[in-house]
Amino acid sequence: MAEEAKFKCLRCMSEFCLPYTPGVTEERTCPNCMSNSVRRLKEKKE
Amino acid sequence: MADVGRHPNIELLAYSEVENVAGYVGNFTVTVRKKARYVDVKECTACGDCIDVCPVTAPDEFEEGLATRKAIYQPFPQAVPSAFVLNIDECLGNNPIACGKCLEVCDKDCIDYDDKDEHVDIDVGTVIVTTGMEVYDPTELDEFGYTRYENVITSMEFERLINSGGPTEGHLIRLTDHKQPKTVAFIQCVGSRSENKGNPYCSNICCMNTVKDCLLIKDHYPEIDIKVFYIDIRAFGKGFEDLFQRSKEKGAIYIRGIPGEIEEDPETRNLKLYVENTTAGGTDCHEVDMVVLSVGVHARADSDAIQKLLTLQRSQDGFFLEAHPKLKPVDAATQGVFFAGCAESPKDIKDSVTQAGAAAARANRLMMQGKVSVEAITSTIIPDLCKACGICVKVCPYNAISCDTKAKTPAVVVEAACSGCGACSAECPFGAITMKHFTDRQIEAQIDAMLEYNSQDKVLAFACNWCSYSGGDLAGTNRFQYPPNTRLIRTMCSGRVDKKFVLRAFARGAPIVLLSGCHFADCHYINAVHWTQRRVEKLWDELEKKGIRPERLQLEWISAAEGQKFATVMRAVEDLRQKVTPEEIEHTKKALAGVLEPPKPKAAAKKATEEEAAAQAAA
Amino acid sequence: MAKLDAEGEQLRVGVFVCQCGHNIAGTVDCEAVAKFSETLDDVVAVFNNKYTCSEPGQLEVKNAIDEHNLNRVVIASCSPRMHEPTFRATLAGADLNPYLLEMANLREHCSWVHMGEPEMATDKAKDLVKMAVARARSLEAQDEMIVPITQKALIIGGGIAGIQSALDLADAGYKVCLVEKEPSIGGIMAAIDKTYPTMDCSI
Repeated sequence: MAEEAKFKCLRCMSEFCLPYTPGVTEERTCPNCMSNSVRRLKEKKE
Repeated sequence: MADVGRHPNIELLAYSEVENVAGYVGNFTVTVRKKARYVDVKECTACGDCIDVCPVTAPDEFEEGLATRKAIYQPFPQAVPSAFVLNIDECLGNNPIACGKCLEVCDKDCIDYDDKDEHVDIDVGTVIVTTGMEVYDPTELDEFGYTRYENVITSMEFERLINSGGPTEGHLIRLTDHKQPKTVAFIQCVGSRSENKGNPYCSNICCMNTVKDCLLIKDHYPEIDIKVFYIDIRAFGKGFEDLFQRSKEKGAIYIRGIPGEIEEDPETRNLKLYVENTTAGGTDCHEVDMVVLSVGVHARADSDAIQKLLTLQRSQDGFFLEAHPKLKPVDAATQGVFFAGCAESPKDIKDSVTQAGAAAARANRLMMQGKVSVEAITSTIIPDLCKACGICVKVCPYNAISCDTKAKTPAVVVEAACSGCGACSAECPFGAITMKHFTDRQIEAQIDAMLEYNSQDKVLAFACNWCSYSGGDLAGTNRFQYPPNTRLIRTMCSGRVDKKFVLRAFARGAPIVLLSGCHFADCHYINAVHWTQRRVEKLWDELEKKGIRPERLQLEWISAAEGQKFATVMRAVEDLRQKVTPEEIEHTKKALAGVLEPPKPKAAAKKATEEEAAAQAAA
Repeated sequence: MAKLDAEGEQLRVGVFVCQCGHNIAGTVDCEAVAKFSETLDDVVAVFNNKYTCSEPGQLEVKNAIDEHNLNRVVIASCSPRMHEPTFRATLAGADLNPYLLEMANLREHCSWVHMGEPEMATDKAKDLVKMAVARARSLEAQDEMIVPITQKALIIGGGIAGIQSALDLADAGYKVCLVEKEPSIGGIMAAIDKTYPTMDCSI
């Protein structure tokens, strides 16, 4: 199972979870507005 | 086909795959994996003795599974090379107790169970990609019941049934009772021209293929009734309309409307087609003995691999993208690479042959000159500034830079191997790498000129030459309108866009900066675009620390085929621009004023850069 | 004040604003863009052409290079992906290094996409020319690397297209390597019975 992390779209500001592997650079798309300005939110919430 | 096998200038590597491509126009080195065939292709005469003794039967792929073959087999009688192949997964192996029969009977001793894959390197000047397409599998279209109803077949299966060399020796029969059908229905656009399932585009060949099939049936069996259900019949080519009319004269009935559902009569195994007749109006039910789904075609699933190896691009439909739709229809954007046939788009045999001739002519035109000049956009190391940290070596997608980090000797660029993405230049912490024709000074001059006046009204967008800039060109040719506030700065690759360019733009008062490049799969420089992504992620953090909203730096991947997306992005960044206040811009200018200052005195600069390098190396 | 380039030569920039018939001039006020260009640093000559890419247009560029001793050329027309090779050749024809050319994309990136906003499109066009001139001033001459071409072609895929390309090139005298994934060439064509429009066999 791939890990998931929380991301934020810097175009529409929506937040969502996407698969995430530390150290791997991946192309990401906001599921809401299709922007690629997708930033990982670093604060960890367990 | 046979001509290929015997041409003295052609080396045929069947059952082989291209695994790696290195080099550049005129000088590609290609690694090909010759898959283990377990039969000596030169010695085998296709006598067939081995087939007689092979105890294993398997579905025959060439016959669409309508017949069987042995574990050792010839794909089809006229195969080139005319040699057998052994499917080792099906073979019982050479365990003498288990089998080994084929080896016993082979007079020429050309079977080798221990055959291994082999790699060969080939030097070539040009490459023609003719990888073809795949036929659509209609199983997902539940309404037609393909695989549920045996008497619903695809047009490819029909080809084998009507072929005199096929499993029924050309007798058209139903699969359930092996009787000749009285009525046959063809359903057009299966997997084509559909927004839901299958593909949105027209597959080009299916209309005429069905017209041809109607004529074949009527030639052999004038008594069979034929009904063709269609959306539009596209008989646009030379002589096509004639054939279409001829099929009508011979009695094929064309009904405008695609069946919404097929039901099978459990007793007769006949098929009932419920269809809205869009010409006459009303819903009808047609009962037929057999249904042929005229299936469309799509890009091959393994196109990804070829795309990466040759740094090609694909249009939204998945087929390979030509350098220019009108003026360079068979050229790839990668110099020295050409397309022909269905790899580029669905087309029939005549068009494939025409395009193949064109591709051969384009390759010939390049090779006959004997030499080619390569654009002088390459990186250069400034030895005095290089600290031999080795970062550029890691960055370069082409392994074109070498650096002895222990001896601390400056890095060296092999100019012929450098493709000019500029990622090394952007990542170098010491400013020790310049890109010819895309120098820091040139790009900074553009930034400064653009933002000299009324910077608050403008969005600065960096766009890579191959994808996003071309996507912008496509938006233009399609006349997709968008707000006139963006100014583009073109670099060869988005990987060239240095952090300092972005910060400089903000320091000069840019409200929004956009970085745009190729989708990861399209990157013209293997994976240079990964550096863009990493750099932007770092920049978002850095901006946030300085109290600048990170969303003022936008990142978008726009392919050369995405004119629509380009326009959408331009509208989105303009919306974002309008939300940036003049106070915010002033604050940013102050926060980043440092980046506009001339380089610090030597000692301090040295310390700062070394710290930065250490931080980068740690990261 | 005229500035010097890296070689110590005095900068002399020529700007050519192309109307592209109605394609650019229909939206962008090319006259205004040309006037504006005259005010930019180091610009010594400005031209307003109907079609800069045409034979007379290119001749005008060539003559202007000679006449005004231009050492940087800015052509404000269509996408460089369209005509950069054309104009690089024009510069080379006037004994000017082709890398001293810069283009401003007034068509695909401006007039064609801002058709309803002529004033703002004209402002954008001015900016694009200003940016191009700024970049042109620091352009440097480059020598292209000439490399030999191996007289051999690789063809990936042995369907009808691959077969035809291979035969054409082999008949022209080149060595050809045809790589096919499957055990036999022929591709999908080989499985087809008769083929249109001739209704003959595929193989």
